Amino acid sequence: MSHNNELTDDTDRTTGGRLPGSRSVSRRAYLAGAGAAATLASAGCMGEGGGGTPTINVITWNDFAQDPVVESVEENVDATVEITSSTSSTEMFQQMNQSADFDIAVPNNNLVPRFLNAELIEPVDTDTVGNYGDIYQKFRDFVGQQFTQDGNAYGVPIRWGWYGYAYDTREVPDHEPSYNIMFEDDYVDTDLDGEVIMYDEAAKTMPVAALYLAEEEDDPSYREALTENDRMTFTEDQIQSMRDLLIEQKPSLEGYISSDTTFIQQFQQGNFLVGHSGRNEVIRLQENQDADWVEFVVPQEGAMAWYETAVVSQDSDNPEVAWEVVNEYIAPTTGAELARQGKSPSCNPNVADELEESEAELYGRIDPERFEQFIPFKDIDPDVQEPYNAAWEEVKA
Amino acid sequence: MAAPDRDETLRAALVRGLSRRRTGLGVTAGPGAIWIVLLLIAPLAFMTAVSFASIDSVTFDIVWEPTVNNYRDLVVGGTSEYSLGPLVYKATAFEKAVLLSYAIATVATVLCLVFAFPLAYVMARLDDRAFKIVIYLVLLPFFTMYLVRAYSWRLMFGQSGVLNQVLGAVGIGPVAAFEFGVPAVIVGLTHAYFPYMLITLYASLDGLDFSLIEAARDLGASRVDVIRDHIIPLTLPGIVGGSLFVFVPSVGAFITPQILGQGKVQMIGILIEQRAIGEATNAATASAASMAVVFSIVVAMFLVFRYVDLDELGGV
Repeated sequence: MSHNNELTDDTDRTTGGRLPGSRSVSRRAYLAGAGAAATLASAGCMGEGGGGTPTINVITWNDFAQDPVVESVEENVDATVEITSSTSSTEMFQQMNQSADFDIAVPNNNLVPRFLNAELIEPVDTDTVGNYGDIYQKFRDFVGQQFTQDGNAYGVPIRWGWYGYAYDTREVPDHEPSYNIMFEDDYVDTDLDGEVIMYDEAAKTMPVAALYLAEEEDDPSYREALTENDRMTFTEDQIQSMRDLLIEQKPSLEGYISSDTTFIQQFQQGNFLVGHSGRNEVIRLQENQDADWVEFVVPQEGAMAWYETAVVSQDSDNPEVAWEVVNEYIAPTTGAELARQGKSPSCNPNVADELEESEAELYGRIDPERFEQFIPFKDIDPDVQEPYNAAWEEVKA
Repeated sequence: MAAPDRDETLRAALVRGLSRRRTGLGVTAGPGAIWIVLLLIAPLAFMTAVSFASIDSVTFDIVWEPTVNNYRDLVVGGTSEYSLGPLVYKATAFEKAVLLSYAIATVATVLCLVFAFPLAYVMARLDDRAFKIVIYLVLLPFFTMYLVRAYSWRLMFGQSGVLNQVLGAVGIGPVAAFEFGVPAVIVGLTHAYFPYMLITLYASLDGLDFSLIEAARDLGASRVDVIRDHIIPLTLPGIVGGSLFVFVPSVGAFITPQILGQGKVQMIGILIEQRAIGEATNAATASAASMAVVFSIVVAMFLVFRYVDLDELGGV
């Protein structure tokens, strides 16, 4: 503001008392010149306009929007990163499907085939994503099974985690970890009527029913429907059995929970004793609330695992820079920041080297043999999508 | 002198213009009409169109081929059995959600009416100063954001919520009715929409001629007779108006059942949200469900307005 006043005063002086031989500048000409200069200056500040730093727009989880993560990426990649936070992979798909505003999305692995089938994303630039070769072999296998076409992978695994269940050790005795605890009222010597929580998402809860039924009915086809293909390929009969099981279970539930924060708050408040949960929620609970009474277990039937997967839009103006940003998300330094933010391990085991010992114990490396107990989440096969969605609606109705 | 002439000419032109019927109508009703067309009619028309389309299960794009399947699926293929004597009906998730929403909204409306009517009656009899104090105290909690109030109820309910902890401390609890679920949602909705009922009833009762009531009492009518034969008939438009203001938003409630239902109370708003932007994303089925609800509410309002004039709502 003070600058403008000074300029105005100068202009007035110039027009008011012209010196002999001096060059006069009219107020209008001066303003025009100043405007042109300001336009040029602002163009230089606005990213690509002057060939400057490109802006990469990313739609992803809130952890990626935290300052340490953004700063770490921008320190290592010549790009400005703009994060749009999202709370669901479906929303990321819808946003990218409806507009060309995003260069990168980071949905969970089960939604990546949707992006691929809708022809929204381009193959991974393996020359640029140099850290790709460092990620666990198991995740590269998952990529091969879930979203590889014509030999091209279409996504890069970033972080991962798994779902089991947590219980309150003050009330629930030690037991063989099994989904039986959620469906059988006499599995442990504690009255769990109204004390169990399930996830308010079909993608998380229906597989639990399938894994339980695979053991209960000694029918491996339920498990095969989860593991054998790039989609969940349940038959309509299986979907009905899973629906009936969950409807039967509903009266004994405390409820369904959809957010991590609510889970933590409710568990701490004592509203339930057993909760279907992700491991990172339990780590948050143990770390931030000193809740040493919480035990997280992987059921003997197996656990569903997620891994966030970065994909780059076909419409990106800067695909190479976008892949550089993706590469940074699994680089040791930035990967460690991401792991800290979400209490979830990176898909690149080398990231653990950047973590403190106490951090690495919770979300560092994992013995690759343990991957055998994990089943990656998958989208439902389009052929049975309608009955699957209807079944979940009926469970909730 | 030139400037006043110009002003005069401009003013005269404006007056002449506004005096014309079409221009006057355009200036007065135009902005509102544009608003309604752009933000109500156009979205509603688009939603209607989408409800007769389908969604590609791979790309999730809208396929513009007319179909009534979305409407058929709302009522066909249900699995939840309900029987009344020899009659057996299998309800779909949509039908159950609609019935649940209407039931919850009805109970919330009745509770609002029961709680608000005596208070509105007292307020109508108060002098100005006392009225201002009472209305301020009654409305004070409602200056807080709705979401915050819903979350505060969340702390009250639940297995270990405040209510059950207090009852547990005196050896009565925990009580199932104070866990998350339908009762908690009803309490939340009653609390949320109480002021709409109160203000509408007050407007109605404030116009009531209380000398009629005194005359009835003088002539031997009991208190019950006075309420039944005089107060209720005279304030019926207010009762109907207040009930509509509570019932309609309660049917489509989303935040309250989301927060206080703990995922176990699938009202129609939640079902539509799941179809629109949730896991089971399908804009066509979501639109069909929305249109069916809009239609049911329009029918309900049509029936109400057969007995009460629109211009009577809110006052006698």
